[in-house]
Amino acid sequence: MSKLSRPPQGESLGLTNCPTCKFLCHLEQGNCPRCGQAVQSRDRTSVQKSWALLITAAILLFPANLYPITIMTSQGQVRQDTIFSGINHLVHLDLLPIAIILFTASILVPMLKIFGLALYLTAISYRLPISKRTLMAGFHIIEWIGRWSMLDLFVISITAALINMGQIWDAKPAPAATAFALVILLTQLAAKVLDTRLLWDRLESKDDTN
Amino acid sequence: MKTEVLDKSIVLCRACDLVVRKRALPTGVRALCPRCHTNLYDTPYCSINGMLALCITALVLYFPANFFPVLEMHFLGSIRTTTIAGGAMAVASQGYWVVGIAVLVAAVIAPGLLILSILTQVLIVKYRLKVPFFRNIYKKLLKQHSLLAQLSMLEIYMISIFVSVFQLSDYTDLYFGIGTFCFTMLFIMVIFMQREYDIEHMWSVLDE
Ligand SMILES: [Zn+2]
Repeated sequence: MSKLSRPPQGESLGLTNCPTCKFLCHLEQGNCPRCGQAVQSRDRTSVQKSWALLITAAILLFPANLYPITIMTSQGQVRQDTIFSGINHLVHLDLLPIAIILFTASILVPMLKIFGLALYLTAISYRLPISKRTLMAGFHIIEWIGRWSMLDLFVISITAALINMGQIWDAKPAPAATAFALVILLTQLAAKVLDTRLLWDRLESKDDTN
Repeated sequence: MKTEVLDKSIVLCRACDLVVRKRALPTGVRALCPRCHTNLYDTPYCSINGMLALCITALVLYFPANFFPVLEMHFLGSIRTTTIAGGAMAVASQGYWVVGIAVLVAAVIAPGLLILSILTQVLIVKYRLKVPFFRNIYKKLLKQHSLLAQLSMLEIYMISIFVSVFQLSDYTDLYFGIGTFCFTMLFIMVIFMQREYDIEHMWSVLDE
């Protein structure tokens, strides 16, 4: 009877996957027989760790967007660009495809990531009426797309290396670059640290039977 | 005794811990979790010799890709060039060492270590799997694999080069160097290498 209402979880059979090598282990063994890693059914502290990393990233998102990320000198004229004004500048130069790529990688992805992960963590803690399948699909997208924010930093490093001719023409990174790098790092860690199995333990709530 | 039988025929979903009965799959087909649609398992197609060839090719390309300039800029009669590491050093020397390290790790160090790690794994599987010392090294390398794979971002660097070219083409003439060619080839080799590589299969080699 209980089997119908609750699909079998590995935890109820006393089994779990080794976090490192995915070997199917018995929980009472304590360590994975194949690779020696300690095994546990759920990482219950992972929600806390993930929140901590995510909140730090969310705070850093402000300096990353408000301060300039590059400083350009062209014939003695100094021009400081934030992420947004830099993209805006590209639009005015009629480089629309490049502007779209950079907008996606540097503004859309980090914000969606922070918002998405926050929603995900809230859903684990407070049983939000959102389908778990939707949340899980979103999580996989977030995990995959987050790396692409590195694009802007790569472009800055290439530009800074090529363009350094003193007063005539010069490109340098500005303070937001470090904040932005940390946002990428922290959001990636926040997603990696989270034990997604915790979301699926709450099947008793009627909104999310599948 | 009952769980012993269970062990061989079931898998647990990594993302949601659902117990799923394992079935034989034709090649190229993936089993997804019926509940959360996470990838469960597939029939590993993992050719050790193919990976060995790709690793060696990638390793040969790695050095020119990193030491020859990826971009050349012609400006007022002078020629400026940059390598990947050169770009990282440029930002680090301005005081942005967090950015410099991130670029260096993602585009130079992690891909290099990834290639070396897979090469070592392949060689151990081929020749020295029975020796306990090498078995231990093999396990250590497998444990680090997913981290290295996540840190290497050759594909993103590739796109960054093109973005930079378009951004700067308004001001000046840019040319691709030999490094760009080697880097593109390296990128393609690593894609194929990661397609051949199957971490579950590499772990399962230890069980035999
Ligand atoms: Zn699942």
